[in-house]
Amino acid sequence: MTAAQGGTGSDSLEKELTAFLTERTGTEPSAEQDLFSTGVISSMFALQLVVHLEDEYDIEIVGPELSMDNFRSVRAMSALVQRLQGAEDGSRAG
Amino acid sequence: MSIDTGAIDALVGDGPAAWDTTGLIPVDVLRKLGGMGVLCAEVPARFGGPGADVFASGELTAHVGALCSSLRSIMTVQGIAAATVLRFGDREQRRDYLGQLTSGRLACVAFSEPGAGSDLAGIATRIRPADDGTGDALVSGEKMWITGAVYADVIVVYGLFGDGPSGAAAVVPTDAPGVRIEQVKDPLGCRAATHSRVVLDDVRVPARAVLGGGGQPLPLLFTTALSYGRMSVAWGCAGILRGCLAAATADARTREQGGSPIAEHQLVARHLAELYTSERIATQVCRHAAEQWERGAADAPVAAVLAKQVAATHATRGAATAVQVLASRGFTDGHVVARAYRDAKAMELIEGSTEISQLILARHVLDTV
Repeated sequence: MTAAQGGTGSDSLEKELTAFLTERTGTEPSAEQDLFSTGVISSMFALQLVVHLEDEYDIEIVGPELSMDNFRSVRAMSALVQRLQGAEDGSRAG
Repeated sequence: MSIDTGAIDALVGDGPAAWDTTGLIPVDVLRKLGGMGVLCAEVPARFGGPGADVFASGELTAHVGALCSSLRSIMTVQGIAAATVLRFGDREQRRDYLGQLTSGRLACVAFSEPGAGSDLAGIATRIRPADDGTGDALVSGEKMWITGAVYADVIVVYGLFGDGPSGAAAVVPTDAPGVRIEQVKDPLGCRAATHSRVVLDDVRVPARAVLGGGGQPLPLLFTTALSYGRMSVAWGCAGILRGCLAAATADARTREQGGSPIAEHQLVARHLAELYTSERIATQVCRHAAEQWERGAADAPVAAVLAKQVAATHATRGAATAVQVLASRGFTDGHVVARAYRDAKAMELIEGSTEISQLILARHVLDTV
């Protein structure tokens, strides 16, 4: 994987996630912003976000994947989605 | 595997009236229903559950809710426990705990604390590594209003992970050293569901009792669990309304005053129309929320709040209407409408009071409209 390929995928993913967060919370977070400490992710929104990610990217986020570190920022969520999509592609191929 | 409501009816029989007055459901009834998968019907078949979809599970909850809100409350907490394990547990925890919850073992869930009802910032319970080389975890805190703790084999405890800010849920056996359960006497409603104060004094559990290893966002833990609870309570309220509608209609059709059945009196007929309207509204708002869950809509958690809020307020009003129709014939503890009158009120207080639900709905409106 080249940096350019990896970068393109996560860039567009980060853009989509930022757009979703902006639309649903009324504030536009930066890619590294801590969404919990800055109050972007409210009590109700946390679950909405998980449901949205699962539906939008056809992944299942359960068990240890639900650790706070995976949801802390747009960048962390983007990495989570990419990793889980990779895992599911892999399991289908296998 | 489908759920046979006939088998449930046979097990429950005319028990609910006596359960209400004694404040206790025979635990073997709960274990049998648990073993049938009735108490957490959405657990997938691969884990030993009935694998009901949200609609079938909802209708089942309403069916039980019409018979007995105390029993339905036990269903609600067992279902929340199962939903929490299903979402946050790792592969082995899912297999182990969901197997237990569908084979007769009973669970309750512990959220509320003296300093934290709906306010997560007030949570003081801690789930932390023992740091003594054992790999165990220690659970300490005080929980209030814990439904069904007196029947439960395990308590799913929600708290801060270490010193926070992330959270964790741990499955704590009720017979573990350091667990103290103090039943609150004489509750107004859902008497046989029981509720208790639960004190956890450095309760030691193995690391594998902490779901997914802990460290999840606290709001995610709570909202996942509460959303299941809200759907369950909402369907239960639809059930309360069905029970009330059936009792009021039967009474109004047969009881005569002034030479005709009271149903022919227009003011009584209006009560029946209003009860029917409430039951239909509650059912439809539950179905709407179930559809949102089924399709993975991002507003599903809000739809669950809406369903709970609408169904609980209609159940409270509808139960009062049913008591009005039956008058002295329903004015005894244990009677289906007398139970409904007290039980429905509890539904306006739990899983987010009517006022908290309204705040959530108003926030949703301000964010999205």
